[in-house]
Amino acid sequence: MIKIKLYIVSVLFLNSFFLFAQDRLHNDKLFAVEIKATAAKFKEERNFNKAQKFFREKNWDSTLVYSMKQLSLNRNEELKNFCYYFRGTSFKEKKLFKEAKKEFNQVSANFRYAYKVKINLGEIALEQSDFKKALQYFQEIEKLPVSTSYNIYRSNILHNIGLCYLHLEKFDKSEEYLFKGATLQEKEKDTLMLISSYMDIANLYYTQYKDSQAIPYFEKAYHLSKKTNSFNLKKTAALNMAVVEENRKNFPLALMYRKELETWKDSLNDQNKVWAIADLEKKFAVKQKQKEVDVLAAENKVKKAERNGFLISSVLLLILFGTGVYFYRQKIKNNKIILAQKNELDELNATKDKLFSIVSHDLRSSVNALKVSNGKLIENLENKNFAELDVLLHNNSTIANGAYNLLDNLLNWALLQTQQAYFYQESLHLATIVQHVEYNYKPLMLNKNIDFKNEVTGSDYVFADLDSLKIIIRNFLDNAIKFSNENGSILIYSRPASEDFCYLVIEDTGLGMSKATREELLKETILLSKKKNDEIIGTGLGMQLCKSMIHKNGGKLDIESEENSGTKIIIALQKFKNHG
Amino acid sequence: MDNINVLIIEDTAAESDALVKVLTENNYTIVGIATNYNEALKLFYNNVIDIVVIDVFLDGKPDGITFAETITIVPNGLKPFVFLTSSKDRQIFERAKLTKPFSFLLKPFNELEILYALEMAVEKFYGQTNVFHSEDQNAVISNDSLFIKKNKALKKVRIEDIVYIEVEDRYCNIITDVEKFVILISLTKIIQLLDSNKFFQTHRNYIVNATKIEEIIVNDNLVILKGNHKVTLSDKYKDFVKNFRILR
Repeated sequence: MIKIKLYIVSVLFLNSFFLFAQDRLHNDKLFAVEIKATAAKFKEERNFNKAQKFFREKNWDSTLVYSMKQLSLNRNEELKNFCYYFRGTSFKEKKLFKEAKKEFNQVSANFRYAYKVKINLGEIALEQSDFKKALQYFQEIEKLPVSTSYNIYRSNILHNIGLCYLHLEKFDKSEEYLFKGATLQEKEKDTLMLISSYMDIANLYYTQYKDSQAIPYFEKAYHLSKKTNSFNLKKTAALNMAVVEENRKNFPLALMYRKELETWKDSLNDQNKVWAIADLEKKFAVKQKQKEVDVLAAENKVKKAERNGFLISSVLLLILFGTGVYFYRQKIKNNKIILAQKNELDELNATKDKLFSIVSHDLRSSVNALKVSNGKLIENLENKNFAELDVLLHNNSTIANGAYNLLDNLLNWALLQTQQAYFYQESLHLATIVQHVEYNYKPLMLNKNIDFKNEVTGSDYVFADLDSLKIIIRNFLDNAIKFSNENGSILIYSRPASEDFCYLVIEDTGLGMSKATREELLKETILLSKKKNDEIIGTGLGMQLCKSMIHKNGGKLDIESEENSGTKIIIALQKFKNHG
Repeated sequence: MDNINVLIIEDTAAESDALVKVLTENNYTIVGIATNYNEALKLFYNNVIDIVVIDVFLDGKPDGITFAETITIVPNGLKPFVFLTSSKDRQIFERAKLTKPFSFLLKPFNELEILYALEMAVEKFYGQTNVFHSEDQNAVISNDSLFIKKNKALKKVRIEDIVYIEVEDRYCNIITDVEKFVILISLTKIIQLLDSNKFFQTHRNYIVNATKIEEIIVNDNLVILKGNHKVTLSDKYKDFVKNFRILR
């Protein structure tokens, strides 16, 4: 009998296990809704969201990981409680009862679902055969008002209390609670639970040797079990019937039950195997997936690296290209400047060469003329032809004068170009300066019988450099004489002055010039031009010199001319402000 | 009216000869011709000199400038001077320019130019520029002399020789011990330039040299000067009598 008893006890364990499973099903549907609501409230807590998601999906390991993360980061009391609850449940499901107990104990007493914690703790105590403690937990929950939501588990709790009393061998109380549970379950039409309840009641009676009361319950449970799909229940029910029949020595029937039991066991095993295989397959698939994921991750990494490399190299190339373009453009620019400078220099060089050749040509002809004239002079002197001497000497003097002027201009030009000359602007009495210059040309004008008049206003003071002003007037006067016919007239006068300028006009009645020539002369070029009339017109150096010097003195040059009737050279000079 | 004394510092005989010729023709007195630095100094300090004409290069060295620098150091003995040079070399000019007042003449020059240069030197030296070519003045007044432009050349009158000045329009009659001549200068200007301790206005048209006064007859409004010149004393200017100790 003792053996049988022990067996039954083991059956009882099985039963209670099933009860928990059933309990969980109920529990989850309502509880999941609550958890979701909480998660929605704490949207930004990513770890908690993940933890609750895995919890609902019964992925216990992941739940443990994320709840731990959430715990390490979070200070919120409610979320903490949820996390501890998730962890306790996870450990319990993994049969790590000690850890589970620890986690559940950390849930604070004011947690909304504290009763669930207590249920779990009771169940753990039950699993660990600490019936007294389990009883304590369950009784606490039973005392709670009927209205609260734990009500749906009431039958289970009553049943569990019954079980506790049964194990503590307080059969009266056990009977009472088991029946209470059974009636509730009958009302709820929870067949599976009812079967367990019936079997437990039957066991209760059986252990008390009240066989007549026990057997109907065993049979009831057996018949009901036939309608369900649970192999475990079917198996247990069949086993119970087999034990009962064996005890009644009704061996054929017992044998029948045993056989039935075997079939259920097999199917259960099959099912277990199928599950195991499925599990394996799942694991394999997971591994495969993991591999794929790894491969993809590696590929991604490679792609990323490639992309980065490409990006960097393209940026580098762009920079290289940019700098290349910059330097190329710079080079082109430089080249352009250099080319322009080269052209300018070439031009200047050509000018210089031209000037050089013209000047040397002029000098050569002058000196040659002097040589020829001197030869004649000697000849005449030998022949004592004194009448001719005077003419020849005058001729010589004129030639020497011309050559001297040319050389003087050349020197001044050189000094001006190299900026070596002393240049100092001061107040100058214009009329006197004109007089000074005119003084040297008096004999020449007398010779050509030119009527000269200096009508510069005595009150005109200009602000200029003395020597450059003299050079300017000298050149223009020289030109005026050169281009004048015999018996012509030259008039130097000052035009009414403006605010800033004093206008000096050198007017002659000579050849004049065409409009083209006039414009050519006034052009801002440094190019010298040899003109058509070789005989009279020189290098153009004098003109250039004058233009440069007028410019340097801050003045302006203008020409009014008409061919064959005369020229007016108008020089605008800066006024000296304190006078005039 | 005396001639102007000129010292020529020039090492080239041909050029100094030409210079002497032009200046003598224009009634300048050539005190001497120095050909080197030491000679120049000797001549300069041993003679009464009004203007110095200095050739920048003496024997190839810019000793002319050195001379100018030397005489500039002693301001009291300084006289107007003109540099002669044939080159417009800027370096030389920068140095010569430091000997203020600075005027120069570029060779070759004609008669008008050298005369002009001398006039300019006097004008600049006594700080009365644009005088000789203006239409309302032809005299520069220094401490001891009156430089007057007469025809083309300058003349000199010692201020202490002036007895009195009679103003007539834009002109002034200068009466000295020995002569009488007219210069072009305004009354206000001449009063400004003359030493106010020696020259006093006695009438709106008369300025007298105090040292030449012989007798003042207040009742007749008459001032009798040396050489028996009589000058009117008007009431407005009678105050000048206070400057003299009156014997009673």
